[in-house]
Amino acid sequence: MRRVAVIGVGVTKFGKHERTCAELFAEAAADAIQDAGVSPRAIQALYYGNVVGGEGERQLHMGPLAASVLGIPTVPTTRFETACATSHAAFRHAVMEIAAGVSDVVLVGGAERVLNLPTDAATEYFAYASDAIFEQPTGITFPGVFALIARAHMAKYGTTEEQMAHVAVKNHRHGALNPKAQFQKEITLEQVMKSAKVADPLKLYDCCPFTDGGAALVVVSEEVARKSRKPVWILSSAAASDSMFLHEKKDLSRVLATERAAQAAYRQGGRGPQDVDVVELHDCFTIAEIVATEGLGFFEPGTGGIAAEKGWTSLGGKLPVNPSGGLKAKGHPIGATGAAQVAEIVTQLRREAGPRQVDGAKVGLVHTLGGNTATVLVSLLSSE
Amino acid sequence: MSKVVTLKAFFEEARSGRLTGIRCGRCGEIAIPPKEFCPACQERAWEPVPLDGHGTIASFTVIRVPPRGRAEEAPYAVAVVKLDEGVSLLGRILDIPLDALKVGMPVRFRPLIRDEQTVVAFGPSQ
Repeated sequence: MRRVAVIGVGVTKFGKHERTCAELFAEAAADAIQDAGVSPRAIQALYYGNVVGGEGERQLHMGPLAASVLGIPTVPTTRFETACATSHAAFRHAVMEIAAGVSDVVLVGGAERVLNLPTDAATEYFAYASDAIFEQPTGITFPGVFALIARAHMAKYGTTEEQMAHVAVKNHRHGALNPKAQFQKEITLEQVMKSAKVADPLKLYDCCPFTDGGAALVVVSEEVARKSRKPVWILSSAAASDSMFLHEKKDLSRVLATERAAQAAYRQGGRGPQDVDVVELHDCFTIAEIVATEGLGFFEPGTGGIAAEKGWTSLGGKLPVNPSGGLKAKGHPIGATGAAQVAEIVTQLRREAGPRQVDGAKVGLVHTLGGNTATVLVSLLSSE
Repeated sequence: MSKVVTLKAFFEEARSGRLTGIRCGRCGEIAIPPKEFCPACQERAWEPVPLDGHGTIASFTVIRVPPRGRAEEAPYAVAVVKLDEGVSLLGRILDIPLDALKVGMPVRFRPLIRDEQTVVAFGPSQ
């Protein structure tokens, strides 16, 4: 297999936009192509991610639309959907297309727009990523799914609501350093603890926001990468699944797909958790960050809450997690999230992250979780 | 020969108050239908098996921000219930005060019937 690198990244401001998904993606993609220093004509394929455009914009066949708005209408496209892991899945397939020698330059990314919808409609569309026959009719929501995980983790390990709140405070502190973040404001532990309940034990500030935004990456072969400014190499990109049904999860306090994807990514990349310097992981809810730091092998099962409380995952801590502000503060435009996470790690490994730079970062890990924990992708990247 | 329990059949039975599982004819694994291969042994030899509907709460949440069309029902509780046979089901909690819910609490299956739709639900065990 050939070596593969990211040579260009682009991310729109996250927040509310009066533009369509295709427009948001195209802005990010044009930025990524210019950052890569390649001609738009060099793009050989587009892997495009979007989740609820069918519901929110009445728009399918989005790949060619995105390419047309970008101005490269003859490029072959494929649309990906694996709930919130969508554009990380697109990224993995682009990596494989290049590693296999099919293409040399592939554009990857995604976009989402939901802030033009009423909250209850967006909540309903997101819930479509749960099973439609057993689960949606119970009235379960995505905060509800992660509340079930939180309750199980609290019952098994004694994890507290305060420990979860520390994740929110930390990610908002990081987000305040990111000019692209939806929320660039610090919050206090008390604000989190006193925020309105959404799905007990999760409160408003335990939840990531609804977000509009786009993100894109230019992924290339070694031959192309050697001519570029600061290539960041992909050591591995792995995917794993678990049952779609909540009733088939073996242990609600764990995300088994995270553990399996991480093991595969470490094995394929020839690295272990001890080699990782910086992490962007899927903190759709505060408990999700705690469980992910355990599943990725950074902390023992049951100690992710303690790690958050002690500041180990802060910028300046032993393993900075979500220096971008994470989904919690940077925002979570679901179809763009995986590509935006990769973009942050590329920026960190190029040493171009400004005030949120993790000193000396050489190896970065990206973790993206789809829906009700049924899909997980983990990729390892390196500056060398 | 594997006997398939369709979703339609599962929910018709559930509407009448009966839960139907499937047991693997090779390894004895019990699952909730529909399913073709046994996740434990990959055999394709299911037999329907009645589930008695008793179980305990493995985890629960109280939904306070509901999806569209459920505003008048909120707040309501949803739980994962581990049935006595070892399989679990997600269901709405009925007739148990929200502040009395606990992990480990015994509950019993009953259908929540809403027009044409049948929803898995659990109420007090007695």
